[in-house]
Amino acid sequence: MDVLRQNLLLAALSAAQLKRLSRHLELIEMPLGDVLYESGRHLSYVYFPTTSLISLLYVLESGASSQIAVVGNDGVVGVALFMGGETTPSRAVVQSAGEGYRLAAKAIKSEFTRGGPIQGLMLRYTQSLITQMAQTAVCNRHHSVDQQLCRWLLHSMDRLGVPDITMTQELIASMLGVRREGVTEAAGKLQKQGVIRYRRGQIHVLDRRKLERLSCECYEVVRSETARLLPWVAPH
Amino acid sequence: MLDRLSPVPRARLIAGCESVELVAAESLAEPGSEMRSVYFPTGSSISLLMPLDAAVPPEVALAGSEGFYGISVALGMSISPIHARVQAPGTAWRMGASGFRRELSRTPALRDGIDRFIFVSMAQLARNAACNRFHVVLQRVARRLLMSADRAHSPTFHMTHESLAHVLGVRRVGVTGAARTLQKRRLIDYSRGTVTVLDRPGLERASCTCYREDVALYKRYLG
Repeated sequence: MDVLRQNLLLAALSAAQLKRLSRHLELIEMPLGDVLYESGRHLSYVYFPTTSLISLLYVLESGASSQIAVVGNDGVVGVALFMGGETTPSRAVVQSAGEGYRLAAKAIKSEFTRGGPIQGLMLRYTQSLITQMAQTAVCNRHHSVDQQLCRWLLHSMDRLGVPDITMTQELIASMLGVRREGVTEAAGKLQKQGVIRYRRGQIHVLDRRKLERLSCECYEVVRSETARLLPWVAPH
Repeated sequence: MLDRLSPVPRARLIAGCESVELVAAESLAEPGSEMRSVYFPTGSSISLLMPLDAAVPPEVALAGSEGFYGISVALGMSISPIHARVQAPGTAWRMGASGFRRELSRTPALRDGIDRFIFVSMAQLARNAACNRFHVVLQRVARRLLMSADRAHSPTFHMTHESLAHVLGVRRVGVTGAARTLQKRRLIDYSRGTVTVLDRPGLERASCTCYREDVALYKRYLG
């Protein structure tokens, strides 16, 4: 039960609800780069990450992709399933290796249609995800790669719970939908200012306060909206 | 959206609504304000704008007769995270938030229809995130004009270059240049803030694929 509670959405359920759900929850490994969903494919499970981080990407016909949200132990991947969609328009990729629980489509659907606290919780999380997506859509247009990298690092470290992120520049570039050189340059600047240390795909955040100052406002907007909707989830 | 409900729940829902006339640029919600009503546009459209450091908040979604305004209420929240402003004036059904919640819990078909609309909206948001990043202004202008024409149920509607620039989050000169190109290709007529779509298939070809994909999504989940 304690491991289940590593996912903060599951942790918000009562012992009885969690017990009922736990019969259907299956703990799985989520290796880096693993694709949980491909856009347009049928969804078979929803995922509750515990120690992993999942990136939701929108993929255009040209193959170019752009990140629309990050889901960690604060949430659930596969909202489309209980919102009436059989498929998802986005791709879900493991951005940071770890573990999580999966729950079969049928089980989550029947829980959702029961109404009650689980439905309420899923709807609340959906609202916070919508805010994150809307914010990301405007951020992509209005903010510099430098700012976006800061935002992304902050969201990632909040969800991981540690200041260390394993991630190549190539992957960051594909997440953010920018050229690799842009990420290299932005990361170089942060390193020079003593905000992060970056070595062979290992990012260590040294100065979180400064990272917050250098980020666009989008980090704070999403954080405070999450705090409002899901107070037990929000960092700080 | 209400047309997709069966007659009894639809009549019950409409009985709880009042018919209102929305005025252009009227503000329906500000970030942090309480949402007392939801709106089902019939002839109007409502623009959802995300507050940002930019003085004019950019648009993240547009709700017309295909949907409704009040996703937060449907998800159980009462505080609006965004600005909601009337984009195209016209008629709408307005319903009190608590009455709407009551109908949602007692009418599974309504819950299902609303959830589907939320799903479609999320899919569009995701697409917009990528569209904002990768597609050029000309394509985005064409897409946005098609969206407005659809919601106006007419090839002619009102939209200034300035407001188009705001909703797309681009500079006004960019919009003016794109509008001139579309006009030269005889796809639209655009004078004094009034747009007329002259060649719809042509305008669809000038748009990014996002428009076509949106339409397919509507057909599939809301059709």
